[in-house]
Amino acid sequence: MTQDFVILTLVIITALGFDFTNGFHDTANAMATSIATKALRPKTAVALSGILNLIGAFLSVEVALTVTNAVVKIQDKTGAPRAELLADGGTALLLIILAGLVGGIVWNLFTWLLGLPSSSSHALFGGLVGATIAGLGWAGVNWNGDGSKLDGVVGKVLLPAVLSPVIAGLVAAVGTWLIYQVTVGVAKRFTDQGFRWGQIGSASLVSLAHGTNDAQKTMGVITLALIASGHWSQTGAVPLWVKASCAVVIALGTYLGGWRIIRTLGKGLVDIAPPQGMAAQSAAAAVILASSHLGFALSTTHVATGSILGSGVGRRGAAVRWRLAGRMVGAWLITLPAAGFVGAAVWAAGNLIGGLGGAIAIFALLLVAAGGMYLWSRRTPVGHHNVNDEWDGAVSPAADPVPATTAG
Amino acid sequence: MHNLGFALEGAGQVLAVCLVLGAGLPALFALGVRALAYGTGGEPRVHTTGVSAPTPNRIGTTVAYACFTVVVLAVALGITFIVASGFGKALSFEHIYPTLVNKN
Repeated sequence: MTQDFVILTLVIITALGFDFTNGFHDTANAMATSIATKALRPKTAVALSGILNLIGAFLSVEVALTVTNAVVKIQDKTGAPRAELLADGGTALLLIILAGLVGGIVWNLFTWLLGLPSSSSHALFGGLVGATIAGLGWAGVNWNGDGSKLDGVVGKVLLPAVLSPVIAGLVAAVGTWLIYQVTVGVAKRFTDQGFRWGQIGSASLVSLAHGTNDAQKTMGVITLALIASGHWSQTGAVPLWVKASCAVVIALGTYLGGWRIIRTLGKGLVDIAPPQGMAAQSAAAAVILASSHLGFALSTTHVATGSILGSGVGRRGAAVRWRLAGRMVGAWLITLPAAGFVGAAVWAAGNLIGGLGGAIAIFALLLVAAGGMYLWSRRTPVGHHNVNDEWDGAVSPAADPVPATTAG
Repeated sequence: MHNLGFALEGAGQVLAVCLVLGAGLPALFALGVRALAYGTGGEPRVHTTGVSAPTPNRIGTTVAYACFTVVVLAVALGITFIVASGFGKALSFEHIYPTLVNKN
C-alpha cells in the first residue's frame, strides 16, 4: 500500500463524511414543516426523506464533474485536474481537497450544534476556497467568472444566497395569502386534512430534488480525487461504487435527521399550520426546480428558510421570530469565510507536516473536532421525542422528562 | 459587475415562473380543498359518521378532483424534470405542451 493510496483513502472517507453531514444538515429543509404540523410522524418523515434522497442521488446519471470549477481553479473545463497540481502523484491537489472537506464538515457540525440551518454547499465551497487560497494563493480562486455567464464565488455563491431566500419568501408569502383567502370559512377538519396531504407531496418533491443536487457534489469531489491520483481516467463518468456510496451515505445522513435544525426551522421561526407548510414547501420546490432548470446554483437551505419565513409573513396574525431569522442570516454570512478559514488553517497544518503525515494529522484533527462537538451536543440532546416541544428560544427544550435515546 | 446583471435577470425569470407554480398551484389545491368541503355537504358543524350524514354535492366533488388532477399533473411534470435532468435531458416548452429534448 503506497503513501498516495493512503492519502486517497483518507480523502474518500472524509468526502463521504461530508456527504453524511450534508444529509442530516438538510433533512430540515424538506421535512421540518411536515414534522411541525404533525402531517408526518418525525421518524416517518426522516425515513421518507432518506428514501427519496437515495432515489434522487441515483437519478443523477449525468454528474457534473466540474463542481469545484464554480469557485476554485483546480480543474480545467473538461473536469480533469490541472496538470501543474499533479506532480508528486497528485498529493498537492489531494491535500487541498482534504483540507477543504474538513473545513466544510467542521462548519456543518458547528452550525448543527447551534441548531442553525446553514448551507452545506456554502460550507463545502468555503472550505475549498480557503484551502485553495492557502495552497495556491488568491489567484487560484474563481472570484467573478469570465464574464460570459453567472459564475465564480460572486455569481454562484454570494448573489444566489442573497436573492434565492427573498424570491422563495415572496412566493411562499403570496401562496400562503392566496390559500387563506380561498379557504376562508372552510371548517378546519377539511383544511387540515387536505393541506397535510399537499404538504407531504411538496416536501417529497424537495427531498427528491435535494438528492439529485447535493449527492452529486460529493460524487464530483471523490471522482476528482480519483483522477488526480491516477485511479480513474474518464472525465465524463463517475465510478459506480462512488455513486452508490454517496447515495447511500447521504440517505443515511438524512435518515439520522438533524433534529436540532428541524426544531429551529419547524418550531422556531414561525408557528406553522398545515396550509402554511404546504405553501412554504411548494414555494421551495418551485424555486429549486425552476432555478436548476435555468441553470442557477442555489442552496436548498436558503430557499427553505426563506419560504418558511414567507409563510409566516403571508398569514395575517402569524408571529415571525425575526431575531432568530437574523441569527440565521448571520450564520449564512459567515459560513463561507468561516469554513474557508478552517480549510486554510487545516491546509497550512497539513502542509507544515507534509505528505502522508500531514494528511493523517488533518484527519485526526477532524475526528477530534467531530467527536468533541458530538459529545457537546449530548449535553442538550434533541431527538424525535422532543423535536416538537414548545419553542422557548433554546436549541434544546428546557425540561426534558423523556430520557434521551436518539442522537440529536 | 456582469454577475449582478445576470443574477437579477435570472431572478426575475425565476420569480415569475415560481409565482405561477409555487403560489398558483397551492392556491388551486386550496380551491380543491374548498370544493371538496362543499361537495360533502358543506356543513360546517361537526357530525359523527352514521348520524344524519349531509347530502353529498356532486358538483363540489367534481370540481375538487379536477383541481387535484391539475396539481398532480404539475407535480408529475416536476418529477419528470428531475429525472430527465439526471439523464441529460431537459424539458422544453416550445410546443407549449412539455416535451423531452437533449440538453445542450
